[in-house]
Amino acid sequence: MENFATDMEVRNSLPAQEVILEVENVSKSFPGVKALDNVSFDLRKGEVHALVGENGAGKSTLMKILSGVYQADTGTIRYKGKEVFFRDVTQAHEAGIGIIYQELNLIPHLSVAANIFIGREPTTRFGTLDEKKMNTDAVDILNRLNLHLDPTIKLNRLPVSKQQMVEIAKALSVNSEVLIMDEPTSALSESEIDELFAVIHTLRDRGVAIIYISHRLEELRHIVDRISILRDGHSVSTDDFSAISSFEIVSRMVGRKIEAIFPPKQNVPTTEKLLEVRNILRAGILHDISFDLYRGEILGIAGLMGAGRSELGRAIFGADPIDSGDVIMNGRKLSLKSPSDAIKVGIAYLSENRKEEGLAIKMRLAENITMANVREISKRFGVVSRDQEMEAAQKYVKDLNIKTPSLLQVVNNLSGGNQQKVVVAKWLFCDSKILIFDEPTRGIDVGTKYAIYELIGTLARQGRGIIMISSDLPEILGLTDRLLVLHEGSLAATLITANTTPPEILNYAAGVVTSIKGDTDMSDQKLTQVKGQP
Amino acid sequence: MSEITDAKIKEENPEIRKTSGRSNNALDRLITFAAVIVLFIFFSIVAPNFFTIRNVLSLALQTSAVTMMGIGVTFAIITGGIDLSIGSVVALTGTVAVMVAIAGVPIWLSMLIGIITGVVTGLLNGLMVTRLKLPPFIATLGMMMVARGVALTITNANAYPAPQGFGGLGNNTIFETGPKFPGISYPVIIMIVVALVFSFFLSKTRTGRYTYAVGSNEEAARLSGIDIKQVKVIAYIISGMLAGLVGVILASRMITSQPNSAVGYELNAIAASVIGGTSLMGGVGTVLGAVIGSFIIGILTVGLTMAGANYFMQQIVIGLVVIGAVTLDQYRSRI
Repeated sequence: MENFATDMEVRNSLPAQEVILEVENVSKSFPGVKALDNVSFDLRKGEVHALVGENGAGKSTLMKILSGVYQADTGTIRYKGKEVFFRDVTQAHEAGIGIIYQELNLIPHLSVAANIFIGREPTTRFGTLDEKKMNTDAVDILNRLNLHLDPTIKLNRLPVSKQQMVEIAKALSVNSEVLIMDEPTSALSESEIDELFAVIHTLRDRGVAIIYISHRLEELRHIVDRISILRDGHSVSTDDFSAISSFEIVSRMVGRKIEAIFPPKQNVPTTEKLLEVRNILRAGILHDISFDLYRGEILGIAGLMGAGRSELGRAIFGADPIDSGDVIMNGRKLSLKSPSDAIKVGIAYLSENRKEEGLAIKMRLAENITMANVREISKRFGVVSRDQEMEAAQKYVKDLNIKTPSLLQVVNNLSGGNQQKVVVAKWLFCDSKILIFDEPTRGIDVGTKYAIYELIGTLARQGRGIIMISSDLPEILGLTDRLLVLHEGSLAATLITANTTPPEILNYAAGVVTSIKGDTDMSDQKLTQVKGQP
Repeated sequence: MSEITDAKIKEENPEIRKTSGRSNNALDRLITFAAVIVLFIFFSIVAPNFFTIRNVLSLALQTSAVTMMGIGVTFAIITGGIDLSIGSVVALTGTVAVMVAIAGVPIWLSMLIGIITGVVTGLLNGLMVTRLKLPPFIATLGMMMVARGVALTITNANAYPAPQGFGGLGNNTIFETGPKFPGISYPVIIMIVVALVFSFFLSKTRTGRYTYAVGSNEEAARLSGIDIKQVKVIAYIISGMLAGLVGVILASRMITSQPNSAVGYELNAIAASVIGGTSLMGGVGTVLGAVIGSFIIGILTVGLTMAGANYFMQQIVIGLVVIGAVTLDQYRSRI
């Protein structure tokens, strides 16, 4: 950490610009996590200030404190020279700090003007809505952004990019002097991004200070004046953007060395191909992706948000339709039209959203374990045998060390880690040969993470093939044998885990480096390298 | 690793029990059941004639229609849907059975045709929900209007008397021992059989299990390889089929085709199901719950009548019971 302290002091600042917002030694803890630890940060009038960091670095927490969603535990925030403390979103909003979230917070069935003024609608002296004033005021604000939109048009008639502009207009309608944008380009196309940047330039020229959060390093150079990097809840550095290289940014983002939070390697990949994925294509989402999975191997899938990681997993499982491409297992081409096809041949998908897609949370532990293979315990006339069900549930509760007061506990009452184990048990009960884990440790505490990692290692050692999708880079590096890096739906690289570094992965993921390195086939030489891993 | 016996599990993990998770639910069930007992005692005191064999048997007969409809609609509700058409389907299937019988078809066959008509409406509801992807409320609301319209059309809104022998199913009894014990009506026997069969089906079979899974988490069910469309269609078919059965029984009891009968029964059936603990959000509910819920409504209706309360008063009380039961349910599920 010390070597970065110097960076903090080397802020070579632009000619005196007024500081509008100053964060000093702000800390914020949540049960079990220190999300922010003495973070400091300043924002000048009329600048675009990028805030970058890995997932979990504390960006969102910091933004939520600035916009009044959370309150800091310690530290001070000075706004326009005065110390402020926002108790809620409204206070921050009224003070002039607007935030545009990644997910748009607009009402699709209302007009543009109605969305801009929602909650603050002008009224006539009779107390009815003053539509006329609302529409003319909306046009004024839109004009300030050089946008020429009909304020009476319904929002859902507009493309996402225009909707985002409406969101910006909404923030400006309260005369925001600070505007926080969280991943504003994640849903936009190239040309729409250009439009957004034009608006950002207009705002900056009018003196609005903008905090710009993005994973896409390559787009920052078009708009950003300064950049601050957060890591593990600490502020690492703040620099003029022109004074720092992309590689430097990436290495500061991931600078942490991986702690001993991973169990020793248990699995040894074989040379036996378990699954061959060939030229998977889904228009606009997955572009011609091919790779192999070997028996006993843990294959990681890395990439930024929206790169198509989950979509790839779901495509192999038959949960999402694909336009073309083949999935071959044991030399046989599979017809994956629905999840039940995949389940039959022994492919399992453990969803990223356990509660939404993996578990029937109102149902019991035992019932969830048998859910994907009720057939196995209802062989006589389709009547479910409770005894067989209990036997199966008991086995997995024991094997996976699921902590529950009863086999008939409703799964909603179990902890996140135990819920995850129930999902694993469900697929083991189907005798799955290939398990696709999508963000297996999201929302799980560190101790339980270790148990999940051990479990994944054990499953691979038993000769299953594991595909692990994760946005947690250390986790991918600590567990996998090889990894695929996706960038905007394409396979950017196939890497041997032991021979790669976090910056290399991030460079591929962010599209900083675009040439494809490695190939989908594991040559013998590479395989030996994998085997040689500790 | 696989040879883990029950004893071993208990030994190493003493807190794991097979049934404790149910206790909460069993307690809930007990509370609802206790409500029935309390109502019985209450009305026995305020209305001296209430707790007589004759009255209890007649109560069971009166309640049988809504009970069976409640069992059927419980299936639709557990999948996360609703079936508003069942009241009209009762009228439709009853009139179809009577009209077919008048046309000369044997009694047993005309009754079967009535029930099949119910199955068809259920199938159509299911297809509208799964293929046309209509919200269940809308699909079954439409079917409610169509079924009533068809019933009125084929009878020209008249009540036609059914042929000789059609009234047997609805009016005969068994175990009759003279004036002291007037016997148990066929509809009550049918109701008991229906309750047992569908309780078994819902709690013990694969399809029953899938019904809960679909209602509890449709996406999780789909990703577990469950054919959710099939499961839903089956649920609506059961709902329609039981409405068809009730329609035939009611027509038999009245020995006429009554295209205007059973108006609003669907709401009583839904209320019965909900009082019995079925969640309109789906994934939760039992056949026994629907039976108990239906009997709570039945006891209140009969009891209040005998205690001298008028029809309007009954409506108020039953409405409050529905609200109270669901409030209690929400409160319980929060803790």
